Amino acid sequence: MADLLIEGLVKRFGDVRAVDNVSIHVADGEFVTLLGPSGCGKSTTLAAVAGLDRPDEGRIIVGGKTYFDGARGTYLPPEARGCGLVFQSYALWPHMTVFDNVVFPLTLRKVNAAERKRRVAEVLALVEMERFADRYPHMLSGGQQQRVALARTLVYQPAILLLDEPLSNLDAKLRDRARVWLAELRTRLGLTTIYVTHDQIEALSLSDRIVVMNGGRIAQLGTPQDIYERPADPFVADFIGTTNFLPAKVAEPGVGTALLELGNGQRIEVAAERAQTQGARVTIAFRPEQMRVATAGEVTNGEGSVVDARVLTRSYVGGRWQVGLDLGGGPLRLETETPPAGDAVRLWLPRHGGIVFRESGHVAA
Amino acid sequence: MSTTTSETGAPAAPARFPRETPIQYATTLLVVVLVAAPLLPVLYQSLLDGALYDHDARLTLGNFVRLAQNEGFPRILWNTFLLAGLTTVVAQLFGTLAAILFGRTDLPGARVLGELFLWPLYLSALVLSFGWYTIYGPAGYVTLFWQSLFGDAPWNLYSLGGMAVIAGVSQAPLAYLYCLSSAGMTDPTLEEAARVSGAGTFRTLWRVTLPLMMPAIAYSAVLNFTIGLELLSVPLIFGEPAGINVLTTFLFNISATSPRPDHGLAATAAALMLIVICFLVWLQGRLLGNTRRFVTLGGKATRPRPFRLGGLRWPLFAAALVYVVMTGVAPIAMLILRAFTSFLSPMIPLADVLTLDNFAALLNEPVYARAVTNSFLVSLVGAALATALIGMVALIVHRSEFRFRGPLHYVALFPRAVPGVVAGIGFFYAFALIPGIGGIRNSIWILVIAFTMRFIPAGLGAVAPMLLQVSPDLDRAARVQGADWWTTTRRIMMPLMRPALVACYTILFISFFKEYSTAIFLFAPGSEVIGTALLQTWVQGEVGVVAGLAAIQVAVIAVCITTARAIFGVKLHG
Repeated sequence: MADLLIEGLVKRFGDVRAVDNVSIHVADGEFVTLLGPSGCGKSTTLAAVAGLDRPDEGRIIVGGKTYFDGARGTYLPPEARGCGLVFQSYALWPHMTVFDNVVFPLTLRKVNAAERKRRVAEVLALVEMERFADRYPHMLSGGQQQRVALARTLVYQPAILLLDEPLSNLDAKLRDRARVWLAELRTRLGLTTIYVTHDQIEALSLSDRIVVMNGGRIAQLGTPQDIYERPADPFVADFIGTTNFLPAKVAEPGVGTALLELGNGQRIEVAAERAQTQGARVTIAFRPEQMRVATAGEVTNGEGSVVDARVLTRSYVGGRWQVGLDLGGGPLRLETETPPAGDAVRLWLPRHGGIVFRESGHVAA
Repeated sequence: MSTTTSETGAPAAPARFPRETPIQYATTLLVVVLVAAPLLPVLYQSLLDGALYDHDARLTLGNFVRLAQNEGFPRILWNTFLLAGLTTVVAQLFGTLAAILFGRTDLPGARVLGELFLWPLYLSALVLSFGWYTIYGPAGYVTLFWQSLFGDAPWNLYSLGGMAVIAGVSQAPLAYLYCLSSAGMTDPTLEEAARVSGAGTFRTLWRVTLPLMMPAIAYSAVLNFTIGLELLSVPLIFGEPAGINVLTTFLFNISATSPRPDHGLAATAAALMLIVICFLVWLQGRLLGNTRRFVTLGGKATRPRPFRLGGLRWPLFAAALVYVVMTGVAPIAMLILRAFTSFLSPMIPLADVLTLDNFAALLNEPVYARAVTNSFLVSLVGAALATALIGMVALIVHRSEFRFRGPLHYVALFPRAVPGVVAGIGFFYAFALIPGIGGIRNSIWILVIAFTMRFIPAGLGAVAPMLLQVSPDLDRAARVQGADWWTTTRRIMMPLMRPALVACYTILFISFFKEYSTAIFLFAPGSEVIGTALLQTWVQGEVGVVAGLAAIQVAVIAVCITTARAIFGVKLHG
């Protein structure tokens, strides 16, 4: 096991900087997820660590061993790095049985036959695939193939474990099960792990820390709670969880509490960490679960504000209703157990929890 | 995993000198030498006033002047381009019609007819020419039959038109395959849209299906024109006696095979031919956008709904059947029948002439027996060696980080632009130039070397598409786990490539077995192959022996194709 240091990593494809000055330090035994939409540079970063893609600039050091150093021209080929990489496609060799697949890395390391057998049996037991040793990959289900791929990587005790969207080829039900299983396994192994995904639930539930990437850069780096509750910018807020964005203007700035004016003139009170300037355009973000329909007679108080909104759509999604609202020009989505009766609804917005971003960021809501 | 101890991480310290380096460089060097070997001597010889193995030969441009002033030469060029042009027209016409009829309509027996239509592709034009001779030649079966009924036959194989029909028929399968695969890949809804909006069958065919095939037709036309220019067998058999010369027969007559060779003139004509073909191959690449260059690519099984021919179904079936029987089946059948008879004529009952004498002659005459054995040796061993080389080239080009993989790919594909005649002359010079390899020069190994060079592109065409279908994750996985390039290649890629290599071997075996145009410049007494023996015996007028040799070639190729298809499921074309 080892720690991973990525410093100033740059990878260009023609004029495009697929990875643009990325620096991450992953501590020994830490589980870090690279999260972002497709094309954000997360897979390119992973490939650079594994040695499948040669970056243009920067340094990659694992456990004191320099994998890549652009300034000195150091570049270790993948086979000399000792990483473990589980591919999105699993990449099981179709002409070999499960046993042959898993034993291959040990054969390369010239481990003696008895020891090989013992370790393959052990790792197959770990992933609960010991009964399938003689099968060929095509005889296994997607979930089983994924476990074999993991076993093949774990069997040689890699310095770090790299997982490239390992759950994305499974169907929804299986994915949930595999995620829980992976979380258990992760606590047992304690391997330094880099996990690449575009699925926020995987990222939030598995990681020690999350690196949200956008356009080749790091948008935010923090614990799952940090990322979810205190997103650094509208992109992160939108990418992690469904978020409603409302354009607003600072009516009364203040430290601790600010009064914002929405598009239709209604005012709400929010907790603000940063000082705002009078009249500045801001965007305020609410999670759907933070908003609710105000109870009869509820009024604006220290806990939150009550505003009037117009109901645009309602749709039943099983057990709950999704209600589309218009609040002073900003579209909102709200989930309730009972649909609002009329065209108008009184909405309760909490004072804490709403996040104010300076300048109205262009975010697809 | 706390229970396991021992080493972690990488298997061993990285070698200071990765072992893929020598392998990759050696393969590249071999390919470069193979491809350059025939070309450089031809270009060099074209600039010399004497034979290039004479020490007092001097550099000159005189050969070009002599060629330009050669009084017969403009005529030869005219004939060459006219023959290639007519051949292309015939091939495209029949090929396109067949593609539409067999591929896109409800013609009865379309599958079987389509298979029969491809026959000429598997055989050499040489064998097909002999077949046509036995049927439509001056003393051919059908010619005599016609004469006995109506007087003189209106056709004459010993003319440009006659040659173009034979060559066109033997090349029509290429046009057919390209049009068919293009038809298989176009979106069937385009045709359905036309029919839904009220266009009838023939209107849709003419206005939608055919225009959609245009890229395939254009590409295969250039391809067929190129092959038409390179063609040796048909002009040699039917053009020579009639005094119709083309570039290939001109080369054949003045180069090494003639008693008084004019090396300067031959090399200059060869260089000229090389330049023209290079341009045409470049044009092919442009037309194809440098992708899908080979027919060997497997087609999609999703075939659009066939057109209904209605009342024309059976008349068109009859027409197609007549074509297939007259152009392919009957000539081959008659050639084989001729091998088992002493004479073949509609006037004489078959039972009177049946004999095994031709095969007895083949066995007793050591030259013929040796030709058959040599053909097997060259094809079995040579194709294996060539397949090994081609497999390595494909792996380096498509599955390595080798610095020169791009140039290697280019050089490996270059022999497409080298006509068999030019390659033959070139290798002849190359082996004459290099001292100390006289042993190879008079053995079958010179043929193996020359054939390998010629068919690298065809082999790559069989291997590359299948190799590209193997996910790159499979070899990357091995690399990340600690296998270097060579281990990955041996343990992962080669086993996965096995079907591609079998297909490559089959295609090379057939190509080597029927090859003659390069061989006639290179063989020596003792290293004859079936192709050269066919031409020699033909010149000697021993039609029975020719038919016997041809029958053996046809039989071996038929067995080879059937086996490859049945056992390995090899697809030899789209």
